[in-house]
Amino acid sequence: MRIGQSEPKQSRPTLLIILVVLSLVMLTVYFREGDDGVLHGARRVTLEVTAPLARAGTAITSPVRSISSFFAGIGASRERVQALEQQNEELRARLAELEEARQENERLRALVDFAEERKFAKLGAEVIRRPVSIWEGVIVIDRGSNDGVEPGMPVIAAQGLVGQIADVSAHSSSVRLVTDQLSGVAAIVQSSRTPGVVRGSIGGALSLDFIDRTYLPVEGDVVITSGIGGVYPGGIVIGDVIAVDDRHGELYPRIRVASRVPIGSIEEVFVLVGSVVETDAGEIE
Amino acid sequence: MTRWGTTVGALLGAFALQVMIAPHISLFGVTPNLLLLVVITLAFVEGSSAGATVGFVAGLLMDLLSSGPIGAWALVMSVTGYLSGSLKQNLFAEGWLAPVTVGVIAALVADFAYLVVVSVIGVGPAFWPALGRLVLPRALYNAVLVMLAYPWLARFLRTDRSIKSFGRLA
Repeated sequence: MRIGQSEPKQSRPTLLIILVVLSLVMLTVYFREGDDGVLHGARRVTLEVTAPLARAGTAITSPVRSISSFFAGIGASRERVQALEQQNEELRARLAELEEARQENERLRALVDFAEERKFAKLGAEVIRRPVSIWEGVIVIDRGSNDGVEPGMPVIAAQGLVGQIADVSAHSSSVRLVTDQLSGVAAIVQSSRTPGVVRGSIGGALSLDFIDRTYLPVEGDVVITSGIGGVYPGGIVIGDVIAVDDRHGELYPRIRVASRVPIGSIEEVFVLVGSVVETDAGEIE
Repeated sequence: MTRWGTTVGALLGAFALQVMIAPHISLFGVTPNLLLLVVITLAFVEGSSAGATVGFVAGLLMDLLSSGPIGAWALVMSVTGYLSGSLKQNLFAEGWLAPVTVGVIAALVADFAYLVVVSVIGVGPAFWPALGRLVLPRALYNAVLVMLAYPWLARFLRTDRSIKSFGRLA
């Protein structure tokens, strides 16, 4: 049945033209103004205003996520558990070896007076908002300028690199994920020290570009930040090489990298709030 | 409540849900655009001018919420709102088919237009992969949500009409 009382009003192209022009003006202003401009400021205000809503949304949906992860865990087979237990044992042994190497390294550094190893203070933060659109890989954390957070600071998780601070408000900040299509990280293959650039994509997959095919990595190689560029400190794990496609006719091989960080379900991160000379200045939190 | 009151209420409600709920109901990484549901529904029941105006406001809210260039969603959603209203006036579809058709077309147009806009201004992803991986899945998701939410949203937005059911509404 059709609506009989009042049909929609006739279209007015003039109004649409005005709105389109207004949108184009805003786009122009956005690109021309600096970070302190009106539109960038409006976005920071929105970030601040929506932080309580995002926090409430995370709290409301938490039970549902817990239930779904519980049911997802039920499917873990005995073989899988045994494999993880074996891997755990191997990693514990490896950890002991590394601890021994670390202590030896410290002793040698002291002997040759190798000063100023950079160590970053870590600020713990909770993820309060996941990406609101598929067009971007941006999350929001509950730390802002009041906590010392500034744009450009690296963000990590226990498993490795998460991304970089994009916008900052007083009590919250947005983090551009390493998997975002606009992200690029100077990286090296840990085993061969071959430099390259890890880039995100629309699907959230990572690729390792500009790798010299003379030093092709193999599946399983670990990719870490190189520290070149001054954005990310060196040595942070980005992910593992999962596929290498060395097609003839292309300048560089196609290398896919899988992040170790569960980007879709991450709940806590650390912001590297600045470099300090290694003394007793430890972690803030 | 007046028409303006219900419209503002629906927009603010959709904005809050976009922040609170939408990120948690993503399917295969696809997050729905709940503000678009309000724009399409309002354009369908009020016409293209109202659709364009509400689309502009909703787009601006989406711009502020996301990290892309501010103005892109405002441009896209005002055009989508206008087209949705125009489709309603010119579509030869009756009953439930009319809102469903408008919803599907508008959902497709919105994300495709956004891809075109960000590609033109040079901040977009690779065009063809984005079309397959982002535009089509999200259009499908939004279209399904439009079908589900349309009767209830329309009833809320037009309290001056006694809308009882989907069939009666359409």
